[in-house]
Amino acid sequence: MKRTSWFNLYKMLIRTSIRSRMQYKFNFIMASILAALIQISEFLMVALVLHRFGAIKGWSLHEIGYLFAIMTLSKTLYRTFGNEVHHLEKYLVNGELDQLLTRPMPVLLALLPQNFRIMAGEVLQGGFILCWSVAGMMHSGQIGWTVIPFSLLIILTGAVILFSIGLATATLGFWTTRIEELQTITEDAARTAAQYPLTLYPKWMSGILLTVIPVGFVNYIPSLYLLRGEGGAWILVVVAAVAVLSLAASLRFWQFGLTKYQSTGS
Amino acid sequence: MLYFTLASKAYSRNLQYRGAHMVHNLASAMFGYMYACLWIGIGADHSLGEYGTQGMISYIAFTQSSLWISGFLTNGLGIPLSVRTGQIALDLMRPVHLFTHLMAREWGQIAYQFVYKSIPIYLLFSLVFSLHWPSNVSTLFYAALGLAGAAYLSICMNYIIGVTAMWTTESSWLHWGNHAMMNLLAGFFIPLEWLPNWLEQLAWLSPYPFLLYVPTRIYLGFEDGSLLWGTLLWCVFMTLICLAITQVLRRKVEVQGG
Repeated sequence: MKRTSWFNLYKMLIRTSIRSRMQYKFNFIMASILAALIQISEFLMVALVLHRFGAIKGWSLHEIGYLFAIMTLSKTLYRTFGNEVHHLEKYLVNGELDQLLTRPMPVLLALLPQNFRIMAGEVLQGGFILCWSVAGMMHSGQIGWTVIPFSLLIILTGAVILFSIGLATATLGFWTTRIEELQTITEDAARTAAQYPLTLYPKWMSGILLTVIPVGFVNYIPSLYLLRGEGGAWILVVVAAVAVLSLAASLRFWQFGLTKYQSTGS
Repeated sequence: MLYFTLASKAYSRNLQYRGAHMVHNLASAMFGYMYACLWIGIGADHSLGEYGTQGMISYIAFTQSSLWISGFLTNGLGIPLSVRTGQIALDLMRPVHLFTHLMAREWGQIAYQFVYKSIPIYLLFSLVFSLHWPSNVSTLFYAALGLAGAAYLSICMNYIIGVTAMWTTESSWLHWGNHAMMNLLAGFFIPLEWLPNWLEQLAWLSPYPFLLYVPTRIYLGFEDGSLLWGTLLWCVFMTLICLAITQVLRRKVEVQGG
C-alpha cells in the first residue's frame, strides 16, 4: 500500500474512534474538567510549598511550572495518539490482539487508532501553566520569545520519547502478559520524578532518569539551555537525537516482541 | 460471622497477586522517595519548623504508607461496576444491608493492603532513611485508632461516590475529584499548617485532614489523641449519610438491559 493510503486509512480510523467516544458527551465534559482539576491539585501541592519556602535548589516556581507543563503536554500528545500502547495489557489478556494481527496492515497502525483519546483537560491545564510560567519568566527578562517555538519543539520530541518508553514497556508484555505494575514505574513514577529538577535526586537516580528511562530529556535537559542558558543550542540537537534513537530502538524491540506473541487461546 | 467471611474472602483473593503487588510497592515507594527528596532539597536551604528535615522525611514516609489504608480503596466500593453490569439489583435483594456488605468486603481489602503494602513500604523507608519508631505504646495505639478511623471514613466516602453511579452510570470523575482533594486537603505532601490560612481553615471543615494528617501527627508524637474526637464525629456523620443514601438508592434502582 502507498504511504498516502496508509495515512488516509489512519485518519479514517481516528475519525471513527472520536465519533464513538463522543457518544457520551456529559462524561467527556466531566472527565475533562476533573482531569484539569487533578492536574491543578498536583501542581498546587508544589506551588504551595514554593509559595512558602521560595526556590527549591535554586529553581523558581516559574521554572518548575515550566518543567511540569512541558511534561504534561508531552504526555498528553503521546496519550492522545498512543493511548492503546499504554493499555496493551487488555489486548494481551483478552486475546484481542489476534484480531489486529489478521488485519492487512502493520499491527501498530491498527492498534493506535483503536481509541483516539481527546484530552481536553490536560491540554487546558498544561497550556495554562506553560503560558503562565513563560509569561512570568519573560516579564522578569529571564528568557526571550524564542523560547516559545523551542518549547513547542521539545513538547514534540518529549512525546516521542515518552511514546518510546511506553512502547518498550508494553513490548515486555509479550513475555510477561501483565505490564500495568511495570508501567507504574517506567511511565508514571519516572514521569512524575522528572517534573522536578533532577538535581534534587541522588546521582544514581538522576542517572537512571537520563539513561535507562530517559524522561530527563523530555523537559529537564532542554530547560537547562532554554531557561538557564547552560550549554548551547547543541543541547536541543542532542534531545532530538535521543528522541529519534529511542523511537528506533523501541520500534525494533516491538517488532522482535511481536514474533514472541502467544495468544491466550480464549 | 458473615461479615468476617466476606472480609477474609476479600483478603485471600488478593493473596493471588502478591508478586505483582510487590512490584507495585516498589513504584509506590519510589513516589515516596521522590517526595522525600523534594523535602530534603527544600530543607537544605530552609528550616522546616518543628519537623526539621528528618521529621519531614518521617512525615512523607508515614503518609505514603498510609495511602494504602485510607487513600487507595476500591473505586466507589465497586458499585459503579455493579451498576453497569446490573449486579446491583441482586446486591440490593440480598438479606444483608448493601452498606455493611460492601464495607465488610472493603475491610478485607484494607487489611490485605495494610499487611502487604503499607508495612513493606514503611519498612523499606525505615531502612533507607533510618527512621525512628515511636517508643511510646500509647502513641502507637492512638495512631492505629486514627488509621482505623481514617479507613472507615474513606469507606464511607467511597460508598457515597459509588452510589452516585446510580444517577450518572459513571462516577469515576468523582473518584478522581476526591483524589485531588486528598492531595491538597489531607496533608499528604504538605502539613496543613503550612497551607495558606484560608485553605487550612477550609481543610478543617472537611473530613480530609482525618484521613492522613491526623494519624501522621499522632504517630510522629506532635499530638495526643484528642484530635481523634474529630475522627469519631466525622465517622458518625458519614455513617448517617450512608444509611440515608441507601434508603434513596433502594427506590432508584433501574436494571439496565443488555
